[in-house]
Parts: sequence; C-alpha cells; structure tokens
Amino acid sequence: MDNRRGLLKRSAGVGAASIGLLAGINKASAADAGKPIPVGSALPLSGIAAADGVEYRNGLTLAAEEINAAGGILGRPIQLHIEDTGNMGPVLTTQAMQRLIDRYNVPAIINGYNDATNMAEMDTAADADIIFSHYNTLLSANTKFNSNPKKYYGCFQGCPPEYYYGVGLLVYLKTLMDEKRWTPANRKIAIIPSSVEYAIVIANAIRDKAKDFGWEVSLFETVPFPNNQWGPTLAKIRQDTPGVIAVTHPLPQDLAQFALQFTPQPTNSLLYMQYGPSLPAFRQIGGKATTGVIYSTLIGCVPDEFSEQFRHDYTQKFGPNSTYLTGSQTYDALWKWALSAAIAGGPGEPYQKAQAQKIAQVMRQLVYRGTSGTSRVDPDGQSAYCYPTQTPDPSLGMPHQFLQVQDATKTPALIAPDLYAQAKFVTPPWMS
Amino acid sequence: MVNFIKDRSSRWTLPADAWIGLLVIIIAVAVPFVIQSRYLLGEVILALIWAGVASQWNLLFGYAGVFSLAPMAFFAFGAYATAMLSYYLGWSVWLSIPAGAIVSIPFSLIIGLACLRLEGVYVALLTFAVAQMMYLLIVTDTGCFQQIGGSCVQFTGGATGFSDFGDFGMRPLLHQYWMIGNYAVVCCGAFLTMLVSWIVIRSPMGLAFRAIRDNPGYAMARGVNRFRTHLLVFGISAFFIGLLGGLYAVHFQAIGPTVFSLSQLLFVIASVVVGGVGSFWGPLLGAVVLTGADEFLSDFGEYRSLGLGLIITAFVVFLPRGLVGEIVHLFALWRRKRQSHV
Repeated sequence: MDNRRGLLKRSAGVGAASIGLLAGINKASAADAGKPIPVGSALPLSGIAAADGVEYRNGLTLAAEEINAAGGILGRPIQLHIEDTGNMGPVLTTQAMQRLIDRYNVPAIINGYNDATNMAEMDTAADADIIFSHYNTLLSANTKFNSNPKKYYGCFQGCPPEYYYGVGLLVYLKTLMDEKRWTPANRKIAIIPSSVEYAIVIANAIRDKAKDFGWEVSLFETVPFPNNQWGPTLAKIRQDTPGVIAVTHPLPQDLAQFALQFTPQPTNSLLYMQYGPSLPAFRQIGGKATTGVIYSTLIGCVPDEFSEQFRHDYTQKFGPNSTYLTGSQTYDALWKWALSAAIAGGPGEPYQKAQAQKIAQVMRQLVYRGTSGTSRVDPDGQSAYCYPTQTPDPSLGMPHQFLQVQDATKTPALIAPDLYAQAKFVTPPWMS
Repeated sequence: MVNFIKDRSSRWTLPADAWIGLLVIIIAVAVPFVIQSRYLLGEVILALIWAGVASQWNLLFGYAGVFSLAPMAFFAFGAYATAMLSYYLGWSVWLSIPAGAIVSIPFSLIIGLACLRLEGVYVALLTFAVAQMMYLLIVTDTGCFQQIGGSCVQFTGGATGFSDFGDFGMRPLLHQYWMIGNYAVVCCGAFLTMLVSWIVIRSPMGLAFRAIRDNPGYAMARGVNRFRTHLLVFGISAFFIGLLGGLYAVHFQAIGPTVFSLSQLLFVIASVVVGGVGSFWGPLLGAVVLTGADEFLSDFGEYRSLGLGLIITAFVVFLPRGLVGEIVHLFALWRRKRQSHV
C-alpha cells in the first residue's frame, strides 16, 4: 500500500540521485570544460504577464546557479540569455526565440508561458533543431506535436495540457461525493469561461464530460478577457442556483472580484476557480471573500518535504513576496534539460539535429521528480502525464493539485490528491 | 487653378523617385547576401510588411486626407480570410492570399459606406470602433465549429486564432534558406503595394485625392465627388493592406486577435509620422527606422517601449515634417541658396 511518507522518501531519493548523477557524469568528461553553454528563455518580462515572467526568470537563475555549482553540464557552466516577449502573441514570441538562436546560439530554450502564440514558436524551435521546453499548458501544443512528431521532436510541454483541468475537476467532485465529504445542492453546474483559449478549452472539457459524471450544465457564459464586472453573470447564477460554479477565467484580480461580488448574496454552490487563486494577488484583493474558494493547478511547486529546500532558497534569494509556485516550473525544466544533455553527451548547438534528437530521447525516457511533482513525458503530445486523471500512479504523473482558501490570511491548503494533501476539504462559509 | 494640385517638386520628383527606387531594389536584392541571421531577416520582413501597410495608410491619410483607423481591421480581414480559406477549404495559400485581398475590398466598402459620410476625427472614431468590434466578435466566439482531438475550433478561430494552414512551401525548396524565400515573396508583395501607391498618387486619381484633401469645397465644385473618391481610396488601400495581411499570416503561419492590438496600429501610424506624412518614401523609411530603433532598444529591457515613445515624440515635436519631409525641405533650401548665389 502506497502512502505519502513512502512516496516522499522515494521522491527525495530520485531528486538526490539526479544531482548526484549530474556530478558523476561531469567527472567522466572534461571536454570543452569551462566554455559556457548558452541557454535561452523568451519570457513576458513586460506587459500583462510580467509578474509571472519575472518569477520564471528567477526559477531559471536559481537552477542555473545550482547546476553550475554542481559542475555545470560536462564541466561547462550554463549562461542564461533572456529575451522579453512583452505582450506575447506569435510574432513577439517567435522573434524573441529566433533572436536567442541567432544571436546567442542557444541549443535549448526554456520558456514559461506565452499567451496567444498559436504555438508558432514550436516551428521556430523545430527549424533550428533545438530543444524547446514550455509551460503554455495548451492542448493545442499536443495537437501540433501529433501533427508531425518527426518535426517537433524537440518540443516538450513541461506540464499536462489545460484540458485536464476540466476533466480533473469532475473527477475531484466525484471523489468528494463518493467519500461523503460534500453533498451538492443539485446536479447542476454553471461554467464561466473568458474569451481566451486556455479558459475555453477547460470550460469545454467540463461541458463535454459533465453528462458522463451525472452533471447538467445550467449555464455556460463566456465573459470578456479581462473582466471584473460580474454582476450580469451572477444574476443568472442566482436565478438558477447550480450545485457547482466553475470559473475558468485565469486572472487573479478578476477572480478576486468575482468572490467579492458573489459573497454578499451567495448561492448554495461550491465555487471552483483555476490557477488564478494560486497567485497572491487573489487573496490580497479578495480578502475574506476568498475563504472557501477551491482552485486547482496542474503545475506548480508541491508544498511537501521534497521541495522545502527549494522554497527556502527561492524565498531567501528573491524575497518574501516572490512566488516560488511559478518559478518552480522553469527551475524544474532547466534541471531536467541539463541532466538530459549531460546524459546525451552534451548540449549540442542549433542545427545539430543528431545531438538534439539524442537529448530529446533522454528527456522522453527520464522520469524526473522535480519540485512540481513527477515529470514523465506522454508520447501522445509530448506533455507531462497528469495524476490522477491520466495515470493512477503518482510516481508517474504530475499531481493535479486542488487547494482551498481556508483562511484568507494564510497560504491556501492543499486538499487533493490525498497522497499530497495537507488538509481536508472544508465546507465554504456561505454554504454552512 | 491647377497650381494647388500640382506637386511643386514635380520637375525633379520622377527622376528622383526612379533613382531612389533603383537604390531600394539594389538594397533589397543585397539584403539576403548581407544578412545571414534568420532573426534579422525576419525583422526586415516585418519592416517591409509594416512599410507596405504604412504606405497605404499614407495614401489614405497623407494624400486623401481620410483619418481612418481601420488599416489593422483591413489587415486582419485579409489575414483571417487567407487563413480561413486555406484552413477550411484547403486552398493553397497562393490562391487564398489574393482571394483574401479581393474580399477585403467589399469589406472596406461596407465600412466606408458607414463611415465616410463623416469627416475628420469622427471617421477615426468610427473606424476604430469597427476594428474593436471585430476584435470582440472574434474573441467572444466560443461555439465549437470543429472538434479536433480534444480541442475546439471556433469558426473565427476565437481567442486562439488559426495556425498551420499552409506556408509558402519554401522549406522543402530551399531547406535551411527558407527564410530567404519568404523574404523574396514578402518583398515582392510590399514593392507591388508601393508601386501601385506611386502610380495612384501620380495619376489623375491621386490628384483628385489631394484636391479633396486640400480644398474639398473647390474640388467638389470642379466635379470631384468627395464620398466616391474616399470610397475609392478605401477600396484600393484595403486590397493591398489585405494582401499584406495574408502575407503576414502565411509568413508567421499563425494569425490571432492580437493583430488588432493598439500597439500594431500605432506602429503603422508612427512609421508614417517618422518618415513623413504625405511623402511617398516616408512610410518605408519610417518603418525601417522604427524597426531598427526597436531592435536597438530591445537590449534595454523594460525601457524599450519608453525609448520608442521618446523617439516618436521627438519626431512629432522637432521634426514634424518627418525624415523625408526634412530631407526635401533641406534640399529645397540648399537649391534656393545656390540659385540666389548664382
């Protein structure tokens, strides 16, 4: 029987082994020793996603320092080069990536997310035969990979696609009901996406699978992006109270507004949001109104013993207001690529297809336990496996973490999956 | 009577334009041999696209006096039409690009019918509203038109847009030099756009545009129909801007609602302002200068936007004629000085 302590012990072993593995490989090779390896990243350091972009840069910086302290890759230190993608989109993102390739000769680009790119950056990476790792969290990345796996062999999505937010929610609700931890007022669900691909795919996944889990969609309303005027939507919700309200819009400040406008006249509904509440702005703006809200994230630092050192180092280095949850993504991605490059015999250079293919092959095979849980590549789309929605084995999938704001002044509590949970689900105050 | 529509510099304009045109073509041919970097070549491609769009906006505003803020709407329409024709009907992009440009004409005429009865800032407001309405219609389109795998494709592409609908076919043809092929195609498109602009400006049609701009009352008294003339220039510019939109979409193999962003529109307008409003070569020079400045400033992180803003402000305040306007002005001063000495 698996338990949390056993899992963590094994995980910690895997993590320590990774660092030890890198040091061991480094001893075996001293070729090109000292010559820095340029590694690129195209991040939104200005514009609407700048807050996340800065954290992604922090994660890379910390990982590069640790890797270099361990001897680098085959004795060569990593040198980071970061380009700003501003307000993102296909043009700015591909330009930034092409600049990294041409100007710095980077054999790998480790990105966080860049919105609304249509995954055009996969072509930039594929054309130059480099390794490209990203956290766009998009099913379209999987679809594009599957359209031509030979071309996009070096493109990896470091997390599961957003589709699993939708299905994962229905699985989690079923668990709550099966274990009698919550009884819905009715079997209606109100789904509220905003007009961005990310939110829509999640909403569609909930809508398409709702019937299979015994839910009836009572409201499906798309709001503009961004949106902080929730009055008309709330009026519809109050007119036909659903058992669950699923807001798939991702911006924390808007979600906080939803909570603020919902709580004065709440309905007997479970309130679910995704990703946005994991950022501090949600509780800072929403205050007490956020208490009871459930949210989830497919990617982010698991607050367990394994990641304790990382969280400590990150907060020490970048200050108490930094968000390790975001920084952990690029931190893990750089570590995984560095290990893979070392195992494959070196990072190579752009347009060296054979070497890039070797590294990609190692990345596909390497099951890496990082701060965000286990990263194992799903060959169907080359993204990370999702636990428990996609695989029942927690050692082979990245946990879809469900959290609840139980005290608005404190860090939200991890309530699922059970193996990682730190607290139990609490009935929201407006429902009790 | 004719003097006010006669270009004061007409005695030297034709040969000067021919020489400048030749120089531009020589530079354009030399570019792929000089620039090895895909990134820089990509920047040149983008500069050419914006130069083409700016030259058409210059035709609208600089020559015909129509203060339209719809160029990005035409651009997006051409780009979306190209993408959708190739995506849904499987057309080759070589067919869908001109088709996208052609359907941009009736689209522009519909907008023109609604907007061009107004004047000045009201045209700007209404055309900007149309572009924003298009943006909102697209991003709020969430209905599933097609289901591909687990992904839902909206009819307009929704907030995601379209990608992988076809390319110029340069990768299998030129392998690692595919970007040069794309450059050649975009170059031809941009130069065609500018050539037609030049012909229009120098034709009686161009004279009518300027007449309406400079003295609408007098021009109308001479039989020039303001509304019809403005509608005509709307249609012409929409065709070429739509064509460039198609080239843009195919070059990047993606088109999404970010194309409607205000910054893109401002870049086009700024190119004309920096180069010189109402001067034929101004938009090209302005687009090249602004792209170069943007590239230079990209090393300064968050100061990039501030730097670009300062450059544009400096041009508006200190060089209101724009670069080409100043060069022409200085040349005229020099000639006058030389003649007075003689």
